[in-house]
Amino acid sequence: MQVTFKVYRKDPEKDGKPGRSNYALELPEDATVLDALLKIRDESDTTLAFRGACGRGYCGECMMRVNGSARLACTAKVPDYTKKGPEISLDPLRNVPVIKDLVFDWDAFMWNKIKQVKPWLEPGDSPVNGENLVADLEMQDLRKVMSCFYCGMCDEGCTVLPVDFNFLGPAALTKAYRLAFDPRNKDSREQVKIVEKPKGIWDCVHCYEADEHCPRGIEPTKRIVALRDRAFNSGITHEAVARHHASFAASVKESGWLDEGRLAVESEGLTNVKGLMKLLPTAVKALARGKAPIPYMHSKRPDAGKIKKIFEKAEQEEK
Amino acid sequence: MQEFDVLVIGGGASGLRAAIAAKRAGASVALITKVHPLRTNSAIAQGGLNAPLGKDDSSESFAEDTLLAGDNLCERDVLRIFTREAAKEVFWLERMGVPFNRDREGRLDRRRFGSNSHNRTCYADDRTGHIVLQVLHEQFQREQIASFEEWYVTSLAVDGGNCVGAIALGLRGGQLESFSARSVVIATGGFTRLYLPSTASLGTTGDGQSLAYNAGARLTDMEMIQFHPTVFPKKQGLLITEAALSDGAIIVDQKGGSITDPKGMPRHKICLSIHQAMQNGGGSVSLDLRPIGKEKLRANFPQTQELVRTVAGLDATKDLVPIRPVAHRPMGGIETNAAGETAIAGLFAVGECACNGLNGAGRLAGNTLSEAMVFGRTVGEAAAQHATAAAKRNFPAAMLADEEKCLVTITSGDSTNKDTLGKIHSELGSLMNEKVGLIRNHTGLQEALGRIQSLKDRYSRLRVKNPSRIYNYELTSYLELSSMLTLAEVVTLAAEARTESRGAHQRADFPERDDTNWKSHTVVNLAGGSGQLQKKPVAAG
Repeated sequence: MQVTFKVYRKDPEKDGKPGRSNYALELPEDATVLDALLKIRDESDTTLAFRGACGRGYCGECMMRVNGSARLACTAKVPDYTKKGPEISLDPLRNVPVIKDLVFDWDAFMWNKIKQVKPWLEPGDSPVNGENLVADLEMQDLRKVMSCFYCGMCDEGCTVLPVDFNFLGPAALTKAYRLAFDPRNKDSREQVKIVEKPKGIWDCVHCYEADEHCPRGIEPTKRIVALRDRAFNSGITHEAVARHHASFAASVKESGWLDEGRLAVESEGLTNVKGLMKLLPTAVKALARGKAPIPYMHSKRPDAGKIKKIFEKAEQEEK
Repeated sequence: MQEFDVLVIGGGASGLRAAIAAKRAGASVALITKVHPLRTNSAIAQGGLNAPLGKDDSSESFAEDTLLAGDNLCERDVLRIFTREAAKEVFWLERMGVPFNRDREGRLDRRRFGSNSHNRTCYADDRTGHIVLQVLHEQFQREQIASFEEWYVTSLAVDGGNCVGAIALGLRGGQLESFSARSVVIATGGFTRLYLPSTASLGTTGDGQSLAYNAGARLTDMEMIQFHPTVFPKKQGLLITEAALSDGAIIVDQKGGSITDPKGMPRHKICLSIHQAMQNGGGSVSLDLRPIGKEKLRANFPQTQELVRTVAGLDATKDLVPIRPVAHRPMGGIETNAAGETAIAGLFAVGECACNGLNGAGRLAGNTLSEAMVFGRTVGEAAAQHATAAAKRNFPAAMLADEEKCLVTITSGDSTNKDTLGKIHSELGSLMNEKVGLIRNHTGLQEALGRIQSLKDRYSRLRVKNPSRIYNYELTSYLELSSMLTLAEVVTLAAEARTESRGAHQRADFPERDDTNWKSHTVVNLAGGSGQLQKKPVAAG
């Protein structure tokens, strides 16, 4: 079949400006996009730069956007695209610096972020009999998380990264989960502390795009939420967002509804004078319009008792 | 110039293990790898790793099984070390965080795999290699080892019979740099991209073996190439783990009749049965995974199911999967002793690129990862020790400049030549598959030697057209094809010399095993511009 590929180009040794090259070629019916790229590089344009390693959907190296959607080039079957039209466009992933053509910066995108979460286990002392005895159920969860093959689709779909590239991102945070939740890791508490810092777990906006994108069903968002729970349960709550969550839950548990004044104050932190001072202008304006909730001067809802029972039951079940 | 005690080339399982061991032994270590460690071929390994952990198992039984799979060509001293140390390495991996499957008591579960006589294969679903590689990379990062990722080694530096380092091209920055080291460990993996189709990654092109050979090291048992029986035969062959057979999957011919019970048979025998069935019936052979049952398929073979779907477009719970034997991995490689030492002082080799005599004429299923761990550690420590004891040698002064000139000559592209690297590789791949494949004979091998020479002539007329240094994959493909052409000749020479059938090497014209004349390894070294072959008998006792 005849296909035309319109491929993103960028040459760091020339002007580095993005461009596009078109390649028309004849391909067998079972060709994948990676097959096509290899053929283009061999026969038409040996300057085209793109990555590929396993060629069979295993290793994550050949990630790129095919007609705008991120996927592996080696499992993208050309006929699936030519059904809709004779042209296929190829681009590097979004949210990531591009080095040359389809070769983008995996280091900045993912590897360096993973390094930041201290991505290794601190083993305990050797068990007497050979292996640590652990239930397969716990190992099963880790195997699921470690089926991650660093394809980057979760980071590619993330809605925070385009706004803040320094956010650790779902891939690195999933790695942190793997280490925080491994019962054999002596340093699991340290693992949580690291990702509880700025640009970590609290910067996720739980849009669930990561879970939608992950081809292995690892559910990165679920893992980030689990890390947050772990942070709360371990008393590791330094960030304003953590205080925000704690305050929100506390006022609903006690009074059945949200004490907005208390929320604003406790999110900043009762000893955070600078933060509290920033709230003053808003508080004054609200007061002038009769909309200021006085923190802690907050009535209970009629069925507050029932709501408190729901919380207590949930807390009991968690234990 | 970069200076380290130990330089490890290759970022897969054995390379990472060696680097970690060398660092822990006190050496300053650097890793050079042409792809990121997590993109290496090790990630594809599925089945598991062997260790004699069962109450009724023993290192003796383990050794017996390995020897059987190796069809009597294994070196016993290496076998002893291996079967003794395998358990230690599996426990080490577990301690470092590999989430192996467990039995009801929380102990490491072991499955029956290939022709192992006991259940001794520890596993993590059907993604053992992938998960073990991650844990190795975690520990590699913990050791803070300098890592040069996406760097391609162009030459080894040898001075007065000693290896003193290497020269490599950084793909990202485009710079050529010298790496001075007292010990160099080659851990670059196999070379089965020489065959098309094969189960190997695109980069499995035998660069390490070629570098070592050209520097004066010897290549041994190169004719021994294992074909994997159950591969979906696309160009990049999709391997379906043999563990599927142990769990109930069956191999059927075109009429649906089951082929000889493959449970417990060494791979080369299963391959021959399939080959036979394809010749006789003249049709295709398939793997029927349905007897495993939907639940078990989902639970134990998630990777298999996923890849059968995405690569083959089939549903393993409903469809038959066409398979045939496809070139998988070599037993032969750079000749080393048990400590990974080669014929060149300061040059070590480990893993699939090396041949220390463990595997003989065939690998026991589940041994490869265990081997990478046991010898990764042994060789890493040996390399560190050598670096401590070795005298400081100077890196040859003119070498970097000469290498620069070499690259300039290579990249003086001639665009009138219609021949391409891809065409030559494609023809080479088909040739090896046909004439130096599962079953060989004298006529075919002679023809292969002739055609390899003409492919080499065509190659010598090619130049690299892309003058860039940054991510120039035409240049790396050019160098990789050179490795493959070099090794193709060595493999064929060795296959021609061995006038018997043993394990993975099957000769239609010499169908019997000949222990009288051929209980020996083939050893090839480069002399006077061509490969010189010798026989080395298997050590007694």
